[in-house]
Amino acid sequence: MAMTELLLDPTGMEEGAQDSTLSPRPVSLKGLTIGLLDNTKPNATLLLEEIGRLLQRHYGAGESKLYTKDYFGTPAKDELLDRIADEVDFVITAVGDCGSCSAASVADGILLERRGIPTASITSDSFLPSGEAMARVMGFPGFDFYAVKHPVASLSSEEIKDRAQTALPELLRILGVEE
Amino acid sequence: MTITIDNSTAPAVDEEHLLAALDHYWNQEWTDGLPVVPVTESYLAEFLAVVDRDPNEILFTITHLNRHMTVRLAAINAAMAGCKPEYFPVVIAAWEGIAKEPHPRRGIWQSTTGTAPFLVVNGPVREELEINSRGNIFGSGFRANATIGRAIRLGCINVFGLHPHKLDQATQGTPAKYTSVIGENEEQSPWPPLHTEFGYEATDNVVTTFVIRSVIHIEARHSMEPEQLALDFVDTICRTGALIHEYTSALLVLVPEHAELFANAGWSKDDLRNFVFEHATRRRSALAAVGKDALSHKSRWRLPAAHPDAMPDTASGTDDPDNVRLLSHPTSVQIMVAGANNAGVSAVVEVFTLNPPREIPCSTSKIGG
Repeated sequence: MAMTELLLDPTGMEEGAQDSTLSPRPVSLKGLTIGLLDNTKPNATLLLEEIGRLLQRHYGAGESKLYTKDYFGTPAKDELLDRIADEVDFVITAVGDCGSCSAASVADGILLERRGIPTASITSDSFLPSGEAMARVMGFPGFDFYAVKHPVASLSSEEIKDRAQTALPELLRILGVEE
Repeated sequence: MTITIDNSTAPAVDEEHLLAALDHYWNQEWTDGLPVVPVTESYLAEFLAVVDRDPNEILFTITHLNRHMTVRLAAINAAMAGCKPEYFPVVIAAWEGIAKEPHPRRGIWQSTTGTAPFLVVNGPVREELEINSRGNIFGSGFRANATIGRAIRLGCINVFGLHPHKLDQATQGTPAKYTSVIGENEEQSPWPPLHTEFGYEATDNVVTTFVIRSVIHIEARHSMEPEQLALDFVDTICRTGALIHEYTSALLVLVPEHAELFANAGWSKDDLRNFVFEHATRRRSALAAVGKDALSHKSRWRLPAAHPDAMPDTASGTDDPDNVRLLSHPTSVQIMVAGANNAGVSAVVEVFTLNPPREIPCSTSKIGG
Protein backbone atom coordinates (compact mmCIF):
# COMPACT_ATOMS: atom_id res chain seq x y z
CA MET A 1 0.00 0.00 0.00
CA ALA A 2 1.21 3.48 -0.85
CA MET A 3 2.42 5.75 1.91
CA THR A 4 -0.34 7.88 3.41
CA GLU A 5 -0.22 11.48 4.60
CA LEU A 6 -2.52 13.52 6.81
CA LEU A 7 -5.00 15.93 5.22
CA LEU A 8 -4.23 19.61 5.80
CA ASP A 9 -6.40 22.13 7.66
CA PRO A 10 -7.41 24.86 5.16
CA THR A 11 -8.53 27.43 7.76
CA GLY A 12 -5.38 28.58 9.53
CA MET A 13 -7.62 28.74 12.62
CA GLU A 14 -5.20 26.70 14.71
CA GLU A 15 -2.94 29.77 14.70
CA GLY A 16 -5.60 31.95 16.36
CA ALA A 17 -5.39 32.28 20.13
CA GLN A 18 -8.48 31.79 22.25
CA ASP A 19 -9.32 34.30 24.95
CA SER A 20 -12.76 33.81 26.38
CA THR A 21 -12.34 35.56 29.71
CA LEU A 22 -15.09 37.98 30.69
CA SER A 23 -14.30 41.16 32.58
CA PRO A 24 -15.24 41.15 36.30
CA ARG A 25 -19.04 41.48 36.69
CA PRO A 26 -20.38 44.46 38.61
CA VAL A 27 -23.04 42.68 40.78
CA SER A 28 -24.83 46.05 41.28
CA LEU A 29 -25.21 49.00 38.88
CA LYS A 30 -25.66 51.60 41.65
CA GLY A 31 -23.83 54.78 40.69
CA LEU A 32 -22.04 53.16 37.74
CA THR A 33 -21.56 55.16 34.53
CA ILE A 34 -23.41 53.67 31.57
CA GLY A 35 -21.79 53.61 28.11
CA LEU A 36 -24.23 53.44 25.21
CA LEU A 37 -22.51 52.50 21.92
CA ASP A 38 -24.70 53.44 18.95
CA ASN A 39 -23.83 51.84 15.59
CA THR A 40 -26.04 54.39 13.71
CA LYS A 41 -28.60 51.82 12.56
CA PRO A 42 -32.22 53.09 12.61
CA ASN A 43 -33.71 53.14 16.13
CA ALA A 44 -30.40 52.22 17.82
CA THR A 45 -30.24 55.55 19.69
CA LEU A 46 -33.85 55.28 20.82
CA LEU A 47 -33.42 51.71 22.06
CA LEU A 48 -30.16 52.45 23.89
CA GLU A 49 -31.46 55.62 25.57
CA GLU A 50 -34.60 53.82 26.74
CA ILE A 51 -32.49 51.00 28.22
CA GLY A 52 -30.28 53.62 29.88
CA ARG A 53 -33.36 55.29 31.45
CA LEU A 54 -34.67 51.96 32.77
CA LEU A 55 -31.29 51.09 34.31
CA GLN A 56 -31.18 54.48 36.03
CA ARG A 57 -34.78 54.37 37.23
CA HIS A 58 -34.91 50.78 38.49
CA TYR A 59 -31.29 49.84 39.23
CA GLY A 60 -29.75 53.11 40.39
CA ALA A 61 -27.26 53.38 37.54
CA GLY A 62 -25.43 56.72 37.25
CA GLU A 63 -25.11 59.03 34.25
CA SER A 64 -25.08 57.65 30.72
CA LYS A 65 -22.75 58.59 27.88
CA LEU A 66 -23.69 58.02 24.24
CA TYR A 67 -20.97 57.09 21.74
CA THR A 68 -21.44 56.75 17.98
CA LYS A 69 -19.51 54.46 15.62
CA ASP A 70 -18.39 55.95 12.32
CA TYR A 71 -19.19 52.78 10.32
CA PHE A 72 -21.65 50.12 11.41
CA GLY A 73 -20.15 47.25 9.37
CA THR A 74 -16.88 46.85 11.26
CA PRO A 75 -15.99 46.97 14.97
CA ALA A 76 -15.42 50.36 16.59
CA LYS A 77 -11.93 51.80 16.19
CA ASP A 78 -9.37 51.21 18.94
CA GLU A 79 -9.31 54.90 19.93
CA LEU A 80 -13.08 54.92 20.51
CA LEU A 81 -13.00 51.63 22.44
CA ASP A 82 -10.12 52.92 24.58
CA ARG A 83 -12.00 56.14 25.30
CA ILE A 84 -15.15 54.24 26.26
CA ALA A 85 -13.16 51.90 28.51
CA ASP A 86 -11.66 54.97 30.16
CA GLU A 87 -14.91 56.85 30.72
CA VAL A 88 -17.60 54.33 31.68
CA ASP A 89 -18.13 51.31 33.94
CA PHE A 90 -20.22 49.11 31.65
CA VAL A 91 -21.56 49.22 28.10
CA ILE A 92 -24.68 48.39 26.10
CA THR A 93 -24.11 48.29 22.33
CA ALA A 94 -26.82 48.18 19.62
CA VAL A 95 -28.18 47.32 17.23
CA GLY A 96 -26.88 44.59 14.99
CA ASP A 97 -29.70 44.29 12.47
CA CYS A 98 -27.72 43.44 9.30
CA GLY A 99 -25.14 40.86 8.23
CA SER A 100 -22.00 42.81 8.90
CA CYS A 101 -23.21 45.08 11.71
CA SER A 102 -24.58 42.25 13.87
CA ALA A 103 -21.18 40.56 13.82
CA ALA A 104 -19.53 43.93 14.43
CA SER A 105 -21.70 44.62 17.50
CA VAL A 106 -20.70 41.26 18.98
CA ALA A 107 -17.06 42.04 18.17
CA ASP A 108 -17.41 45.40 19.96
CA GLY A 109 -18.66 43.53 23.02
CA ILE A 110 -15.72 41.12 22.98
CA LEU A 111 -13.18 43.92 22.45
CA LEU A 112 -14.65 45.88 25.38
CA GLU A 113 -14.70 42.79 27.63
CA ARG A 114 -11.00 42.37 26.83
CA ARG A 115 -10.52 45.98 27.97
CA GLY A 116 -12.13 45.05 31.29
CA ILE A 117 -15.55 46.57 30.60
CA PRO A 118 -18.68 44.41 31.12
CA THR A 119 -20.67 44.69 27.90
CA ALA A 120 -24.04 43.54 26.64
CA SER A 121 -24.25 43.51 22.84
CA ILE A 122 -27.64 43.62 21.17
CA THR A 123 -28.32 42.13 17.73
CA SER A 124 -31.64 41.30 16.14
CA ASP A 125 -32.64 37.65 16.44
CA SER A 126 -32.45 37.24 12.63
CA PHE A 127 -28.70 37.61 12.98
CA LEU A 128 -28.05 35.44 16.03
CA PRO A 129 -25.94 32.95 14.00
CA SER A 130 -23.86 35.78 12.53
CA GLY A 131 -23.02 37.05 16.01
CA GLU A 132 -22.20 33.54 17.20
CA ALA A 133 -19.93 32.96 14.19
CA MET A 134 -18.16 36.26 14.86
CA ALA A 135 -17.53 35.23 18.47
CA ARG A 136 -15.88 32.00 17.24
CA VAL A 137 -13.72 33.90 14.71
CA MET A 138 -12.71 36.30 17.51
CA GLY A 139 -11.56 33.37 19.66
CA PHE A 140 -14.48 33.74 22.10
CA PRO A 141 -16.91 30.91 21.25
CA GLY A 142 -20.08 31.09 23.32
CA PHE A 143 -19.81 34.82 24.02
CA ASP A 144 -23.17 35.81 25.47
CA PHE A 145 -25.18 38.60 23.82
CA TYR A 146 -28.83 39.57 23.53
CA ALA A 147 -30.90 38.92 20.41
CA VAL A 148 -33.80 41.37 20.25
CA LYS A 149 -36.87 40.37 18.27
CA HIS A 150 -36.64 41.34 14.58
CA PRO A 151 -37.45 43.94 13.24
CA VAL A 152 -36.07 47.03 14.97
CA ALA A 153 -35.58 49.57 12.20
CA SER A 154 -39.27 49.90 11.32
CA LEU A 155 -40.68 50.17 14.88
CA SER A 156 -42.41 53.20 16.46
CA SER A 157 -40.96 54.74 19.62
CA GLU A 158 -43.67 53.00 21.72
CA GLU A 159 -42.70 49.64 20.23
CA ILE A 160 -39.02 50.37 20.92
CA LYS A 161 -39.89 50.98 24.60
CA ASP A 162 -41.49 47.53 24.70
CA ARG A 163 -38.38 45.98 23.18
CA ALA A 164 -36.23 47.72 25.82
CA GLN A 165 -38.47 46.49 28.65
CA THR A 166 -38.34 42.93 27.33
CA ALA A 167 -34.56 43.08 26.94
CA LEU A 168 -33.86 44.27 30.46
CA PRO A 169 -33.73 40.95 32.41
CA GLU A 170 -31.45 39.38 29.77
CA LEU A 171 -29.12 42.39 29.71
CA LEU A 172 -28.88 42.28 33.51
CA ARG A 173 -28.10 38.56 33.41
CA ILE A 174 -25.34 39.11 30.79
CA LEU A 175 -23.86 41.92 32.90
CA GLY A 176 -23.93 39.72 36.00
CA VAL A 177 -26.19 42.08 37.96
CA GLU A 178 -27.69 40.48 41.06
CA GLU A 179 -29.55 43.35 42.69
CA MET B 1 -23.90 -2.81 -32.94
CA THR B 2 -21.96 -3.06 -29.70
CA ILE B 3 -19.49 -0.41 -28.61
CA THR B 4 -16.77 -1.64 -26.30
CA ILE B 5 -15.12 0.93 -24.05
CA ASP B 6 -11.61 0.13 -22.94
CA ASN B 7 -11.53 0.81 -19.21
CA SER B 8 -8.17 -0.82 -18.53
CA THR B 9 -6.35 2.50 -18.23
CA ALA B 10 -8.67 3.89 -15.52
CA PRO B 11 -6.97 4.09 -12.12
CA ALA B 12 -8.09 1.70 -9.38
CA VAL B 13 -9.01 3.44 -6.13
CA ASP B 14 -9.75 2.43 -2.58
CA GLU B 15 -13.32 3.72 -2.58
CA GLU B 16 -13.75 3.51 1.18
CA HIS B 17 -10.56 5.47 1.81
CA LEU B 18 -11.49 8.05 -0.81
CA LEU B 19 -14.96 8.63 0.63
CA ALA B 20 -13.56 8.86 4.13
CA ALA B 21 -11.33 11.72 2.98
CA LEU B 22 -14.24 13.53 1.30
CA ASP B 23 -16.44 13.00 4.36
CA HIS B 24 -13.76 14.55 6.53
CA TYR B 25 -14.06 17.83 4.58
CA TRP B 26 -17.86 17.77 4.71
CA ASN B 27 -17.86 16.99 8.44
CA GLN B 28 -15.47 19.87 9.13
CA GLU B 29 -17.61 22.18 6.93
CA TRP B 30 -14.54 22.92 4.80
CA THR B 31 -16.45 22.98 1.51
CA ASP B 32 -18.98 24.92 -0.57
CA GLY B 33 -21.19 21.85 -0.51
CA LEU B 34 -19.44 20.03 -3.35
CA PRO B 35 -16.70 17.44 -2.86
CA VAL B 36 -13.17 18.82 -2.63
CA VAL B 37 -9.80 17.41 -3.62
CA PRO B 38 -7.95 15.96 -0.59
CA VAL B 39 -4.77 17.95 0.02
CA THR B 40 -1.64 16.73 1.78
CA GLU B 41 1.66 18.48 2.47
CA SER B 42 3.30 16.92 -0.60
CA TYR B 43 0.48 17.96 -2.95
CA LEU B 44 0.57 21.46 -1.43
CA ALA B 45 4.29 21.60 -2.26
CA GLU B 46 3.49 21.29 -5.97
CA PHE B 47 1.43 24.51 -5.77
CA LEU B 48 4.00 26.42 -3.74
CA ALA B 49 6.69 25.34 -6.24
CA VAL B 50 5.13 27.27 -9.14
CA VAL B 51 5.36 30.65 -7.40
CA ASP B 52 8.33 32.48 -5.93
CA ARG B 53 6.49 33.59 -2.80
CA ASP B 54 6.97 33.10 0.94
CA PRO B 55 4.21 30.71 2.06
CA ASN B 56 3.59 32.97 5.07
CA GLU B 57 3.20 36.11 2.98
CA ILE B 58 -0.21 37.71 3.57
CA LEU B 59 -2.25 38.35 0.42
CA PHE B 60 -5.45 39.71 1.97
CA THR B 61 -6.57 40.57 5.49
CA ILE B 62 -10.01 41.24 6.94
CA THR B 63 -8.81 43.21 9.92
CA HIS B 64 -12.01 43.13 11.96
CA LEU B 65 -12.10 39.33 11.69
CA ASN B 66 -8.39 39.15 12.55
CA ARG B 67 -7.98 36.62 9.71
CA HIS B 68 -5.31 36.57 7.01
CA MET B 69 -5.14 34.84 3.62
CA THR B 70 -1.54 33.66 3.36
CA VAL B 71 0.09 32.18 0.26
CA ARG B 72 0.05 28.77 1.97
CA LEU B 73 -3.67 28.93 2.83
CA ALA B 74 -4.48 30.21 -0.67
CA ALA B 75 -2.63 27.20 -2.08
CA ILE B 76 -4.38 24.65 0.15
CA ASN B 77 -7.78 26.03 -0.81
CA ALA B 78 -6.85 26.24 -4.52
CA ALA B 79 -5.78 22.59 -4.46
CA MET B 80 -9.00 21.62 -2.67
CA ALA B 81 -10.98 23.55 -5.30
CA GLY B 82 -9.50 21.36 -8.02
CA CYS B 83 -7.01 23.83 -9.47
CA LYS B 84 -3.95 22.52 -11.27
CA PRO B 85 -0.72 23.82 -9.69
CA GLU B 86 -0.10 26.00 -12.77
CA TYR B 87 -3.34 27.92 -12.06
CA PHE B 88 -2.00 29.08 -8.71
CA PRO B 89 -0.40 32.37 -9.95
CA VAL B 90 -3.88 33.42 -11.20
CA VAL B 91 -5.38 32.62 -7.79
CA ILE B 92 -2.70 34.74 -6.09
CA ALA B 93 -3.38 37.65 -8.45
CA ALA B 94 -7.10 37.28 -7.72
CA TRP B 95 -6.53 37.58 -3.95
CA GLU B 96 -4.31 40.60 -4.56
CA GLY B 97 -7.10 42.16 -6.62
CA ILE B 98 -9.68 41.41 -3.92
CA ALA B 99 -7.36 43.05 -1.38
CA LYS B 100 -7.46 46.26 -3.47
CA GLU B 101 -11.27 46.33 -3.60
CA PRO B 102 -12.79 48.56 -0.90
CA HIS B 103 -15.78 46.43 0.12
CA PRO B 104 -14.40 42.94 0.86
CA ARG B 105 -12.12 44.16 3.63
CA ARG B 106 -15.02 46.12 5.15
CA GLY B 107 -17.23 43.09 5.61
CA ILE B 108 -19.36 43.07 2.47
CA TRP B 109 -19.29 39.26 2.36
CA GLN B 110 -20.99 39.12 5.75
CA SER B 111 -23.72 41.36 4.37
CA THR B 112 -27.31 40.63 3.40
CA THR B 113 -26.49 42.11 -0.04
CA GLY B 114 -25.00 38.76 -1.04
CA THR B 115 -22.35 39.88 -3.51
CA ALA B 116 -19.67 37.71 -5.12
CA PRO B 117 -16.16 38.24 -6.45
CA PHE B 118 -16.04 38.25 -10.27
CA LEU B 119 -12.74 37.85 -12.09
CA VAL B 120 -11.79 38.72 -15.67
CA VAL B 121 -8.56 37.27 -17.07
CA ASN B 122 -6.65 38.91 -19.93
CA GLY B 123 -3.43 38.03 -21.73
CA PRO B 124 -1.74 34.93 -23.19
CA VAL B 125 -2.33 32.99 -19.94
CA ARG B 126 -5.93 32.40 -21.13
CA GLU B 127 -4.64 30.12 -23.89
CA GLU B 128 -1.93 28.52 -21.76
CA LEU B 129 -4.35 27.53 -18.99
CA GLU B 130 -7.38 27.04 -21.28
CA ILE B 131 -9.45 29.69 -19.51
CA ASN B 132 -12.74 29.85 -21.42
CA SER B 133 -13.56 33.17 -23.09
CA ARG B 134 -15.95 31.96 -25.80
CA GLY B 135 -19.10 29.86 -25.58
CA ASN B 136 -20.89 29.39 -22.24
CA ILE B 137 -18.63 31.81 -20.35
CA PHE B 138 -21.05 32.10 -17.42
CA GLY B 139 -21.79 28.37 -17.49
CA SER B 140 -19.97 25.24 -16.43
CA GLY B 141 -17.52 22.91 -18.10
CA PHE B 142 -14.06 24.48 -17.96
CA ARG B 143 -11.64 23.38 -15.28
CA ALA B 144 -9.63 26.61 -15.09
CA ASN B 145 -12.67 28.90 -14.89
CA ALA B 146 -14.51 26.60 -12.49
CA THR B 147 -11.67 25.95 -10.07
CA ILE B 148 -9.92 29.34 -9.97
CA GLY B 149 -13.17 30.98 -8.92
CA ARG B 150 -13.90 28.18 -6.50
CA ALA B 151 -10.47 28.62 -4.91
CA ILE B 152 -11.61 32.10 -3.87
CA ARG B 153 -14.94 30.82 -2.50
CA LEU B 154 -13.31 28.05 -0.46
CA GLY B 155 -10.81 30.60 0.88
CA CYS B 156 -13.67 32.87 1.96
CA ILE B 157 -15.42 29.99 3.72
CA ASN B 158 -12.41 28.36 5.33
CA VAL B 159 -9.98 31.16 6.09
CA PHE B 160 -12.41 34.01 6.79
CA GLY B 161 -15.16 31.84 8.29
CA LEU B 162 -17.73 33.15 5.78
CA HIS B 163 -20.09 30.20 6.13
CA PRO B 164 -23.64 30.82 4.90
CA HIS B 165 -26.24 31.14 7.70
CA LYS B 166 -23.37 32.07 10.02
CA LEU B 167 -20.90 34.86 9.29
CA ASP B 168 -22.20 35.10 5.70
CA GLN B 169 -25.70 36.55 6.16
CA ALA B 170 -26.54 36.90 2.43
CA THR B 171 -30.31 37.13 2.14
CA GLN B 172 -30.31 35.29 -1.19
CA GLY B 173 -26.75 35.41 -2.55
CA THR B 174 -25.97 34.62 -6.19
CA PRO B 175 -24.93 31.52 -8.16
CA ALA B 176 -21.71 33.45 -8.87
CA LYS B 177 -20.67 32.62 -5.30
CA TYR B 178 -19.72 29.11 -6.42
CA THR B 179 -17.29 30.47 -8.99
CA SER B 180 -17.18 33.30 -11.51
CA VAL B 181 -14.15 33.66 -13.73
CA ILE B 182 -14.22 34.58 -17.41
CA GLY B 183 -11.51 35.27 -19.97
CA GLU B 184 -11.86 38.11 -22.45
CA ASN B 185 -12.37 36.94 -26.03
CA GLU B 186 -9.55 39.21 -27.19
CA GLU B 187 -9.14 37.37 -30.49
CA GLN B 188 -12.70 38.15 -31.62
CA SER B 189 -12.89 41.69 -30.25
CA PRO B 190 -12.59 44.72 -32.52
CA TRP B 191 -11.32 46.79 -29.59
CA PRO B 192 -8.18 46.81 -27.41
CA PRO B 193 -8.52 44.34 -24.50
CA LEU B 194 -9.79 45.46 -21.08
CA HIS B 195 -6.44 45.36 -19.24
CA THR B 196 -4.75 47.75 -21.71
CA GLU B 197 -7.19 50.45 -20.57
CA PHE B 198 -5.51 50.28 -17.16
CA GLY B 199 -1.98 50.77 -18.49
CA TYR B 200 -0.94 47.16 -19.03
CA GLU B 201 0.63 45.80 -22.22
CA ALA B 202 -1.54 43.50 -24.31
CA THR B 203 1.01 40.73 -23.64
CA ASP B 204 0.70 41.12 -19.85
CA ASN B 205 -1.38 38.57 -17.97
CA VAL B 206 -3.82 40.43 -15.73
CA VAL B 207 -6.75 39.66 -13.43
CA THR B 208 -9.41 42.37 -13.14
CA THR B 209 -11.50 41.98 -9.98
CA PHE B 210 -15.09 43.15 -9.52
CA VAL B 211 -17.59 42.69 -6.69
CA ILE B 212 -20.93 41.90 -8.32
CA ARG B 213 -24.64 41.43 -7.67
CA SER B 214 -26.17 39.90 -10.81
CA VAL B 215 -25.49 38.89 -14.39
CA ILE B 216 -28.38 39.86 -16.68
CA HIS B 217 -28.70 38.89 -20.32
CA ILE B 218 -29.48 41.28 -23.15
CA GLU B 219 -31.34 39.61 -26.02
CA ALA B 220 -30.70 41.66 -29.15
CA ARG B 221 -30.31 39.25 -32.05
CA HIS B 222 -31.76 41.52 -34.71
CA SER B 223 -30.33 44.92 -33.83
CA MET B 224 -28.71 46.78 -36.67
CA GLU B 225 -28.37 50.30 -35.27
CA PRO B 226 -25.70 51.03 -32.64
CA GLU B 227 -28.01 53.50 -30.86
CA GLN B 228 -30.77 50.88 -30.54
CA LEU B 229 -28.38 48.31 -29.18
CA ALA B 230 -26.80 50.78 -26.74
CA LEU B 231 -30.25 51.79 -25.46
CA ASP B 232 -31.03 48.12 -24.81
CA PHE B 233 -28.04 48.03 -22.46
CA VAL B 234 -29.06 51.35 -20.89
CA ASP B 235 -32.52 50.02 -20.05
CA THR B 236 -31.06 47.14 -18.06
CA ILE B 237 -28.45 49.30 -16.33
CA CYS B 238 -31.26 51.65 -15.22
CA ARG B 239 -33.65 48.99 -13.89
CA THR B 240 -35.00 50.28 -10.59
CA GLY B 241 -34.67 46.95 -8.78
CA ALA B 242 -30.90 47.24 -8.95
CA LEU B 243 -30.79 50.64 -7.27
CA ILE B 244 -29.49 50.53 -3.74
CA HIS B 245 -27.16 53.56 -3.73
CA GLU B 246 -27.67 56.87 -5.53
CA TYR B 247 -25.70 55.64 -8.55
CA THR B 248 -24.99 52.26 -10.09
CA SER B 249 -22.06 50.67 -12.00
CA ALA B 250 -21.90 48.00 -14.67
CA LEU B 251 -19.60 45.76 -16.65
CA LEU B 252 -20.88 45.24 -20.20
CA VAL B 253 -19.88 41.82 -21.48
CA LEU B 254 -20.46 42.14 -25.21
CA VAL B 255 -20.44 39.20 -27.56
CA PRO B 256 -18.28 39.60 -30.67
CA GLU B 257 -21.34 40.22 -32.87
CA HIS B 258 -22.50 43.17 -30.77
CA ALA B 259 -18.98 44.60 -30.44
CA GLU B 260 -18.59 44.37 -34.24
CA LEU B 261 -21.87 46.22 -34.75
CA PHE B 262 -20.56 49.14 -32.71
CA ALA B 263 -17.05 49.02 -34.21
CA ASN B 264 -18.38 48.86 -37.77
CA ALA B 265 -20.41 51.99 -37.08
CA GLY B 266 -17.19 53.67 -35.96
CA TRP B 267 -17.85 53.52 -32.21
CA SER B 268 -14.89 53.10 -29.88
CA LYS B 269 -15.35 51.73 -26.35
CA ASP B 270 -15.34 55.33 -25.10
CA ASP B 271 -18.06 56.28 -27.57
CA LEU B 272 -20.24 53.49 -26.20
CA ARG B 273 -19.36 54.37 -22.60
CA ASN B 274 -20.23 58.04 -23.11
CA PHE B 275 -23.49 57.22 -24.90
CA VAL B 276 -24.54 54.94 -22.04
CA PHE B 277 -23.53 57.56 -19.47
CA GLU B 278 -25.60 60.28 -21.16
CA HIS B 279 -28.67 58.10 -21.53
CA ALA B 280 -28.55 56.33 -18.15
CA THR B 281 -31.21 58.50 -16.52
CA ARG B 282 -34.71 57.96 -15.14
CA ARG B 283 -37.56 60.43 -14.76
CA ARG B 284 -38.08 61.32 -11.11
CA SER B 285 -41.70 60.14 -11.43
CA ALA B 286 -40.44 56.65 -12.41
CA LEU B 287 -38.23 56.54 -9.31
CA ALA B 288 -41.07 57.89 -7.14
CA ALA B 289 -43.32 55.13 -8.47
CA VAL B 290 -41.01 52.53 -6.91
CA GLY B 291 -40.18 54.55 -3.79
CA LYS B 292 -36.59 55.37 -4.71
CA ASP B 293 -36.75 59.11 -5.42
CA ALA B 294 -34.71 60.27 -2.42
CA LEU B 295 -31.67 59.27 -0.36
CA SER B 296 -31.27 58.29 3.29
CA HIS B 297 -29.28 60.96 5.08
CA LYS B 298 -27.77 58.14 7.15
CA SER B 299 -26.77 55.50 4.61
CA ARG B 300 -27.29 57.40 1.32
CA TRP B 301 -29.36 54.44 0.11
CA ARG B 302 -32.33 55.23 -2.13
CA LEU B 303 -35.70 55.38 -0.38
CA PRO B 304 -39.09 57.12 -0.77
CA ALA B 305 -39.18 60.91 -0.36
CA ALA B 306 -41.80 60.42 2.38
CA HIS B 307 -39.43 58.33 4.55
CA PRO B 308 -38.38 60.09 7.80
CA ASP B 309 -34.67 59.63 6.89
CA ALA B 310 -35.12 61.06 3.38
CA MET B 311 -33.03 63.84 1.91
CA PRO B 312 -32.96 65.05 -1.73
CA ASP B 313 -30.65 63.31 -4.22
CA THR B 314 -27.98 65.14 -6.22
CA ALA B 315 -30.21 65.61 -9.28
CA SER B 316 -32.72 67.55 -7.16
CA GLY B 317 -30.23 70.38 -6.89
CA THR B 318 -29.62 70.70 -10.65
CA ASP B 319 -31.35 72.71 -13.40
CA ASP B 320 -33.16 69.56 -14.49
CA PRO B 321 -34.33 67.93 -11.22
CA ASP B 322 -36.79 65.58 -12.92
CA ASN B 323 -34.07 63.90 -14.95
CA VAL B 324 -32.12 61.71 -12.51
CA ARG B 325 -28.69 60.43 -13.57
CA LEU B 326 -27.99 56.88 -12.43
CA LEU B 327 -24.28 56.82 -13.31
CA SER B 328 -21.81 59.19 -11.64
CA HIS B 329 -19.00 58.82 -14.21
CA PRO B 330 -18.68 57.42 -17.75
CA THR B 331 -16.08 55.03 -16.30
CA SER B 332 -18.78 53.51 -14.07
CA VAL B 333 -19.39 51.51 -17.25
CA GLN B 334 -16.60 49.04 -18.07
CA ILE B 335 -16.68 47.20 -21.39
CA MET B 336 -15.22 43.88 -22.51
CA VAL B 337 -15.88 41.18 -25.10
CA ALA B 338 -16.61 37.55 -24.23
CA GLY B 339 -18.83 34.76 -25.42
CA ALA B 340 -19.26 32.86 -28.66
CA ASN B 341 -19.54 34.59 -32.00
CA ASN B 342 -22.83 32.89 -32.77
CA ALA B 343 -25.69 35.15 -31.61
CA GLY B 344 -26.58 38.62 -30.38
CA VAL B 345 -26.80 37.74 -26.68
CA SER B 346 -24.70 39.89 -24.37
CA ALA B 347 -24.82 40.58 -20.63
CA VAL B 348 -24.81 43.38 -18.10
CA VAL B 349 -22.90 42.47 -14.96
CA GLU B 350 -24.17 44.63 -12.09
CA VAL B 351 -21.17 45.83 -10.13
CA PHE B 352 -21.43 46.62 -6.43
CA THR B 353 -19.32 49.60 -5.48
CA LEU B 354 -19.61 53.17 -4.22
CA ASN B 355 -19.38 55.93 -6.79
CA PRO B 356 -18.57 58.59 -5.87
CA PRO B 357 -15.86 58.37 -4.70
CA ARG B 358 -14.80 55.45 -6.96
CA GLU B 359 -14.51 56.35 -10.63
CA ILE B 360 -13.27 52.91 -11.73
CA PRO B 361 -15.42 50.10 -10.28
CA CYS B 362 -12.73 47.37 -10.31
CA SER B 363 -9.15 46.55 -9.35
CA THR B 364 -6.36 44.96 -11.36
CA SER B 365 -3.36 42.81 -10.54
CA LYS B 366 -0.69 41.34 -12.78
CA ILE B 367 -0.33 37.57 -12.77
CA GLY B 368 3.12 36.46 -11.63
CA GLY B 369 4.17 39.94 -10.66
